[in-house]
Amino acid sequence: MKQKKPVKLLVVEDEPGLRDSIRDYFNDGGNVCETADDYNSALQKINVYRYDCIILDITLPGGSGLDILQQLKQNRYADGVLIVSARNSLDDRLKGLDLGADDYLTKPFHLSELRARVMAIVRRKSFDGNHLVIFNEISLDILAKSVTVNNAPVKLTPKEYALLLYLIANKGKVVSKNAVAEHLWGDEIDISDNFDFIYSHIKNVRKKLMDAGGKDYIQSAYGMGYKLSDQ
Amino acid sequence: MKLFDNYNRISLFFTVLIIIITGIVYYYTISYVLTGQVDQDLNVEEHEIFDHVRLNHKLPQVFKSEDLKISFQPVGKEVIRRQFINTDLWNEQEREKESARGLITSVSVDGINYRVTIIESKVETEDLIRVIFLITLFIIFLLILLLFIINRVLIRKLWQPFYQMLDQITQFNLTDKNTITAPDTRIDEFREMNREVTAMSLRVRSDYQELKNFVENASHELMTPIAVINSKLDTLVQDSSLTDNQGRLLGEVYQTLAKMKKMNKAMLLLSHIENRLIQEEEILDLKYRINDTLNEFHELFSSKKIQITASLQDASIRMNKSLLDILLNNLIGNAVNHNFEGGSINISLSQGNLTIANTGPSGALEKDMIFQRFNKSASSEGTGLGLTLVKEICETYAFGLIYNHENEMHIFSVQF
Repeated sequence: MKQKKPVKLLVVEDEPGLRDSIRDYFNDGGNVCETADDYNSALQKINVYRYDCIILDITLPGGSGLDILQQLKQNRYADGVLIVSARNSLDDRLKGLDLGADDYLTKPFHLSELRARVMAIVRRKSFDGNHLVIFNEISLDILAKSVTVNNAPVKLTPKEYALLLYLIANKGKVVSKNAVAEHLWGDEIDISDNFDFIYSHIKNVRKKLMDAGGKDYIQSAYGMGYKLSDQ
Repeated sequence: MKLFDNYNRISLFFTVLIIIITGIVYYYTISYVLTGQVDQDLNVEEHEIFDHVRLNHKLPQVFKSEDLKISFQPVGKEVIRRQFINTDLWNEQEREKESARGLITSVSVDGINYRVTIIESKVETEDLIRVIFLITLFIIFLLILLLFIINRVLIRKLWQPFYQMLDQITQFNLTDKNTITAPDTRIDEFREMNREVTAMSLRVRSDYQELKNFVENASHELMTPIAVINSKLDTLVQDSSLTDNQGRLLGEVYQTLAKMKKMNKAMLLLSHIENRLIQEEEILDLKYRINDTLNEFHELFSSKKIQITASLQDASIRMNKSLLDILLNNLIGNAVNHNFEGGSINISLSQGNLTIANTGPSGALEKDMIFQRFNKSASSEGTGLGLTLVKEICETYAFGLIYNHENEMHIFSVQF
């Protein structure tokens, strides 16, 4: 992904273990990731600073994340909002999206999934009309769902496209096979041998990109995951 | 046997027994009394003979009578012992033998001893006894009839509250919302039973609700620690100094954690469905949804070389969209996971019926067991909650769900 300026994020989460992991995961790529651990400190931050995306937990000490979302919308702040909740209830999800949240993610989640979702929000919020995700010579058109390498089109299946986009959103990071499987098939489907599919999808993506003249950026990591990197 | 049938049988047996004993006692008492009376008549007759002999010094003239016969026989020195006997009397008119009572005595006229035999018919006594017997029979019959009527009408009516309650207990279902209401009755025993059963049903229901809430809360509370472990793992694998062996171990941790997550989510979802917390419904195009799901599974089908035959007619279904997705994912997912390479899956849809049939290495599954929680084959890597979810969803919308095994195919059909 082409990033001219660092992405500025706010993580509102009361569980310290989770909050720190998210901050560390996002800080790696040169982004700025701030944190708030309760309702009041979150409210203070959003009233002073603007963020590209706010990762917002619903159940917070001192109040509801949904109220913070309402505050943002009342003040017409354009911050992207990704709601993160342990409650899988449809009510919360619909309420959150009705109030203007950009996306909703149920705990527990993979950090790579969170990152892919946050990046998608940031991309949509950037008003430069750029719907291209670019990684060196590889370019993905988000609207047309098409891929080019050095401007030459590469034909990928929908799953292969989703896989490539996912890895690019998490470039430089090891992404576990489980995270990839959940991203591609959702976690409601019990597929016993989906790792074989991931393997064959990865193989196909690498082959197609290299056939089109791209470099081989995708490496296997310890047999438990993959990493897309140009280093 | 019903309680009052049982009771009737016993009471009838003893009543009949007592009536028979009474009849026998009656018979002997009455026949004893009547015989005594006849004997007294005979005594009177004897006295008349003696008086006649004393006054006239000759035997009285004997008249022929229907029910009394007197005869004199001269005897020598023989001593006649006075005695009463049971004997018969020939009735000329009726031309039959009648039982009779006789008195043998002796009289002496002018030095000649005579044996006197006075016989009186007992036919009237016999008639009386017969009447008593008939009356007894009639009473037995009347009693049986009466008990029968009491059984049919009265007792049935008395037991009505009991059967009403029994009906409610039979229909009692923990997951339903309707409670047991005690039928109105004036009978203390029933009232007590109703009160206890009603209280028990409420107690059971609240215990069950508590248990469900506990499962939901426990699954819910577990999500945060799982989320933390997950995020720490995601952070840990970024460490470039990991060895391959450590990476492999982490892969296994990931796998186990994913399974735990899935199970927990399924449990949470189950209690959500059971608590009827998922209420949004819409009319969904089932054919479109199935095609969508088949698309999702497309790669799986081709890699396992599974032949898909789908004959789908237009059909709509009214339910929650997420639940329909879960239903289809689980049914079709199972059809793939529990299939062999080169197997086949047949899906047919018509309005009101969806059938998914698949080949599989295992034989017929146990119908009662497959929908139970955590019931799965040893080789299965699933959570063991998939079919339970399917069943719960079907029950929520009152859909029929049937499993069959025909022609080596596992067949699941949903009637909606």
